[in-house]
Amino acid sequence: MAEEVAFIGKIIPELLKGLAVTCRLSGGALLLGLGLGLVTAVLRVYGTGLLKAVAVIYSEVIRGTPLLVQLFILYYGLPDVGINLDRLTAGYLALGINSGAYQAEYFRAAIQSVQAGQMSAARALGLSKLQAVIYVILPQALRLVLPTWANEVIYMVKYASVVYTIAVPELLARGQMLNSKYFKPAAIFFTVSVIYIIVITLITKLTDGLEKRLAIPGLAVESGRD
Amino acid sequence: MDSILELQDIHKSYGGTEVLKGVSLSVNKGEVLVLIGPSGTGKSTLLRCINLLTRPDRGTVLLSGTDLTDPKTDLNRMRQRVGMVFQEFNLFNHLNVLNNITLGLTKVKKMAVAEAKQVARLELEKVGLADKADSFPGELSGGQKQRAAIARALAMQPDVILFDEPTSALDPQLIGEVLEVMKELAREGMTMVVVSHEMDFTREVADRVVFLEAGQVIEEGSPAQIFYHARSERTKNFLGKIIGLPA
Repeated sequence: MAEEVAFIGKIIPELLKGLAVTCRLSGGALLLGLGLGLVTAVLRVYGTGLLKAVAVIYSEVIRGTPLLVQLFILYYGLPDVGINLDRLTAGYLALGINSGAYQAEYFRAAIQSVQAGQMSAARALGLSKLQAVIYVILPQALRLVLPTWANEVIYMVKYASVVYTIAVPELLARGQMLNSKYFKPAAIFFTVSVIYIIVITLITKLTDGLEKRLAIPGLAVESGRD
Repeated sequence: MDSILELQDIHKSYGGTEVLKGVSLSVNKGEVLVLIGPSGTGKSTLLRCINLLTRPDRGTVLLSGTDLTDPKTDLNRMRQRVGMVFQEFNLFNHLNVLNNITLGLTKVKKMAVAEAKQVARLELEKVGLADKADSFPGELSGGQKQRAAIARALAMQPDVILFDEPTSALDPQLIGEVLEVMKELAREGMTMVVVSHEMDFTREVADRVVFLEAGQVIEEGSPAQIFYHARSERTKNFLGKIIGLPA
């Protein structure tokens, strides 16, 4: 038993280096996804013509193909047309573009849940559609979407591990490398799992806290009431 | 008399159903016009056609001579001159009462924030909500919400305010406080177009009453004329159902 613990102690620094890569990758991809998702959602709900069509196509194509395929196209496929991305960039892009399409749907649902009367009141004051979306609709939609969006963060941290297929040294990849060196899969992958659990629990606590801080007074739906 | 608002032959259909079948109305400056009629006959639709929240299929809306139905008109700019108060209040839930009012002032009228807050506080005092400036809509009663909504519309200094059944969603004991504010506005000479079922208020405050049924103007006149000397059977029928003819 003591031997196992000592071994785990030995591999943790290496694994934590991998965790750092996972975090950077997830964080960057989430931000890219947030930007793409928000714009796509707004275009799908309020856009017309070409802009709306682009948003719909992006959404359907990306959600219609596996993340791994998208990753391979970016990393292995693009060089065929002369674009060479390094592994990390390919990773960011694949994860970000993929996440964006799903985040777009979460935001779209949230935007559509904001009552129609809010838009009416905003327009009646003389706000343009864009102003209404930015100052009235989105602030409310983003509060509505927070619990679902927290899910996306958790998914991202775990799905980031697909980049081990293109040899990016994130958490899971390091676990694999250690395993091929020491042949101790039980200890190694158990430790990897524990690291994931700790990180994700922290994230959940953070998003819960964010939800509470952003709650609109008088409208918060609190459990344990009534 | 100044005709501030003119609706000419307004038509609107939803799906296959024609809701407004050629409505024409004019409103003079300082006038209080009340639209009465059975539910679902297009009163709210007509009101929403005035500020083009709903675009009529046919017909013209003239605000002090400017054609709002003309696609070239800058609607956002013109809408500053038409205030609207909704049945469901529609206060911006994520903003406190003060900011509900300053939003339009800063983003549409491009006022400086400090000035906007001053104007907002003045309007809140007028409607009796000075102490609720920092409260959020979710923390207010229905009557307070509607008074805040009226303050929000007033702050923009519109030429005319549209009221879409402003008290229909309120508990009976809260209706009075809103009607008081509206009566005060009327006394001060605000041009108002009101859709309402509040017959006492109408009798007391309206300059003209328009009876709308099945998408058409059936009859219009002073409150006395409509309530006591209605010419059309349909008008009499409606009034009979609503309140029993007034004593």
